[in-house]
Amino acid sequence: MASLESIINAPEPSTNNPETTSPDADSNPNKRRKIGHRTVAADASLNHLHWTSQSEQQIYSTNLLRTLRHVLRRNPSPSTTASKPRQVRYAADRVLAAAAKGRTRWSRAILSSPPPFNNRRMLHKKAPAARKKVTGLRSMRNGMEKKKLPAVERKTRVLSRLVPGCRKLSFPNLLEEATDYISALEMQVRAMTALAELLAGGGSPSGLAGESLS
Amino acid sequence: MSSRRSSSGAPTSAGMTDAQITDLVSKLQQLIPQLRSTHSDKVSAAKVLQETCSYIKTLHREVDDLSDRLSQLLANTDSNTAQAAIIRSLLM
Repeated sequence: MASLESIINAPEPSTNNPETTSPDADSNPNKRRKIGHRTVAADASLNHLHWTSQSEQQIYSTNLLRTLRHVLRRNPSPSTTASKPRQVRYAADRVLAAAAKGRTRWSRAILSSPPPFNNRRMLHKKAPAARKKVTGLRSMRNGMEKKKLPAVERKTRVLSRLVPGCRKLSFPNLLEEATDYISALEMQVRAMTALAELLAGGGSPSGLAGESLS
Repeated sequence: MSSRRSSSGAPTSAGMTDAQITDLVSKLQQLIPQLRSTHSDKVSAAKVLQETCSYIKTLHREVDDLSDRLSQLLANTDSNTAQAAIIRSLLM
């Protein structure tokens, strides 16, 4: 169960699945970096195909189920750990990020973020900081026109907040990360839906093996 | 990581080449179910970005709902059923 520990505890993105030696060029990340920066676009398309494969989804489901059983069985004290759905979400995201094998920025960001703590503390910390920023921008803009920023830039900003770890990326890299992130999220939804149906109905195996939902 | 950032960090907001940006935007558009059927040159970049953001939010919400569901299911199910589920998932 070495793989379980690595997903739950340390931020280590790689080497948790001996079965996932997929033949399509994702063996050595170091090799890719040395080849050159412009292979980034090629990598992105490879990753995209990787999230739609049936085997990847099955591996994810298996890992997720094992991780969840481990997490939910621990019986932590309710004052220090987040609620159960939050823990499930956190574990699901981490297993997903681990499946990316450290090739993308969003996956590395997810794996290096801390586990959810008691909600109240986190909210207190975030709220005043967020409010300060917004009023600062607004007072600046009132001197000039109202909506000075172009629409594309505004939406880019929103997008950079939605994709983890991508707030300061350049526009093209942000788009690449978003592309991969969306494919990964879709797989996550498919896998978790199939898992939920499997656990609920105990019925047809077609949920995992057969049709994909998208 | 750093090599990637420095190579594509152009001073203008446009980034590298417009062609590459357009290519990425169209790739993104193909992923989003709402925009997939629309002809690519009729959709502006702003619209693609907006749909991307809302689609990601939708996916996040779905994952949250699913985690909620899974946390309930896993709490109720006994170890035998869960093991059977694992075995089934491994076999298929």
